[in-house]
Amino acid sequence: MNRLTKLWNAPWARWVLAGAVVILLVALPLMLPVFANQTLTRVGVYAVAVLGLNIIMGYTGQVMLGQIFFLGVGAYVTAYGVVNDWNIVVVFLAACLIPGIVGLVLALAAARLGGLAIAMVTIALPIIGVPLAKRLSDLTGGSQGTSARFSSAPEWTGLDNDQWQYYIVIGIAAVAFVLAYNLVRGRYGRALAIVRDNESVARSMGISPYRYKVLAFTVASIFGGVSGFLYMVAVQYTSPETMSFHHSISLLAAMVVGGAASIVGSLIGGAYYVLVPQVTNAIDPTITAISQGIILVAVLFLLPGGIVSLPRVIRRLLRRRDRGTAPTQTTPPPARDAAPQAEGPETERQGQA
Amino acid sequence: MDTFIQLVIDGLSLGSIYAALALAIVLVNQSTGLINFAQGAMAVLSAYIAYVFIGWGLPPIIAILCSIVVSFGIGAVVERLLIRRFEQGEPNTAVVVTIGLLTLVTGICGWLWGYNNRQFPSLFPLTTVDVFGAVISVRSLGTTLVIIAIMVLLQLLFLGTKLGLALRAVSVNPHSAALSGLPVGRLLMVGWGLAAGLGAVAGALVAPQLTLTPGMMDTALVYALAAVIIGGLNSPLGAVVAAWGIGVLENLAAVYVPFIGHDLKIAVPFVILFVVLLLRPQGLFGRKVVVRV
Repeated sequence: MNRLTKLWNAPWARWVLAGAVVILLVALPLMLPVFANQTLTRVGVYAVAVLGLNIIMGYTGQVMLGQIFFLGVGAYVTAYGVVNDWNIVVVFLAACLIPGIVGLVLALAAARLGGLAIAMVTIALPIIGVPLAKRLSDLTGGSQGTSARFSSAPEWTGLDNDQWQYYIVIGIAAVAFVLAYNLVRGRYGRALAIVRDNESVARSMGISPYRYKVLAFTVASIFGGVSGFLYMVAVQYTSPETMSFHHSISLLAAMVVGGAASIVGSLIGGAYYVLVPQVTNAIDPTITAISQGIILVAVLFLLPGGIVSLPRVIRRLLRRRDRGTAPTQTTPPPARDAAPQAEGPETERQGQA
Repeated sequence: MDTFIQLVIDGLSLGSIYAALALAIVLVNQSTGLINFAQGAMAVLSAYIAYVFIGWGLPPIIAILCSIVVSFGIGAVVERLLIRRFEQGEPNTAVVVTIGLLTLVTGICGWLWGYNNRQFPSLFPLTTVDVFGAVISVRSLGTTLVIIAIMVLLQLLFLGTKLGLALRAVSVNPHSAALSGLPVGRLLMVGWGLAAGLGAVAGALVAPQLTLTPGMMDTALVYALAAVIIGGLNSPLGAVVAAWGIGVLENLAAVYVPFIGHDLKIAVPFVILFVVLLLRPQGLFGRKVVVRV
């Protein structure tokens, strides 16, 4: 156990591991069947959406219930740009910028009221977004939805469409994850954490909670827009249903189940969002909603840190059993030498106290 | 002019339903400091329970009263078994719990009764009466009157009874209330039960119009939340007035502003809310909360 930790802490081991993961991600779609590739692609799409949600909710502590709206806006912007023959780079930038601007304007108002105002305002987004998308039928194609085929594999690659889409989505998602990782580790991440933990302390240190909430919200909506672009790459079709209310709730559930304030948790959340409904729908479509509720409540009861905290919890249980009759340990063990992965919010939180 | 009066009365009746839900939300927020996002879903469950009672052959009014009693119990049990565990912890976690509850309750309704629309009988006759030349449905009038009656009753309960006094004491300061010998836990259960009962009224009143589906109250919940923010989180009166205002304004906007129309009228409270948040973030009737550090 100890040797393993030491090995993990060696820089070269991490590089080797990262290299192995990259090779695996690149090689995988060449061997898997089409359906598996499409599923993995969709995991990438929703992982980015969950990642954005995590920045505002996990790291900044503001409950946000409308992330799917920004995914929808991003998808519609992408579809509109592709239909009107914009350059694909312009389309991508627009799919980031427009949701970002919408998010900025919303956050300027919503963050003014402390507490749960952001939650109460953003819950309205998907509920207004659906009729709005139907109404603006010139731009969105109304309830029929709109399709945009632009992600077919080019001839020179010799790839199938599903493989090409996989590479685009995983590539952009990887960049998004690296950017988010750097954001939450740096100066901004520390500021967001203190805004989450204690706004008065933040203010006394010269950190404006309002400004950082608006910042985090905007970043979250940009990530939402990116995931909307990726959604169009993967699905090539969007309709008002894309941003329906229960999708938004599922996205939040996925974030909590994966692990709040955790980069790896976002990835798990994306996988949860895609895979669990696939399984439950295969069993019986009427149990999808109820199973989601049960899983969410059960995770909150038993594993508040989400699936990503499972290894830590197991290790703590093992240690407690090793000690036998020793008194129950209430404080978490020092995270620096025990953390099995590069996951750091715990470490950071301690650094701040 | 006729249309105008008709629209105002219909708006008031719609607003009354939002008001019932908004009151329930304020009630829970006052006692536990939480926003219960599952309030709408619990109201749908209550409506389904009333639907089952009606299926057993009870007359609608008795069925609805029974469902209110059952809902009171459900609300109290939910508080005790689920929410109690998260009350002392981080408020965000507790909110996520209510969102989990929203999914869970909607899922239970869908699992037990399916996702097809079901007809729910109306409490009031579907006739109309003439008031100053305007044609007004009895249902709209009845709904508004029921909500006004409930508000008076609640006011009496909170201001005129010992139970009401105790409930207010717990919401103002739970620690002092506990020290003066009040059973805080049980009173919180009563608060949640009352809120669930109010939700049951809202559900039974709105179900005939919208027909019964598991997602029936999603939209009403958004209206109620908007009313709560506009009126001020700590002001029951503000929430009700705001809910009525929203109901009337959106009805008028749907008819008189062509771009909005009936499909986009849900954007109306949102726009009002936006303006209110920018100009008066504590809500129209709310008090500014000063936090001591």
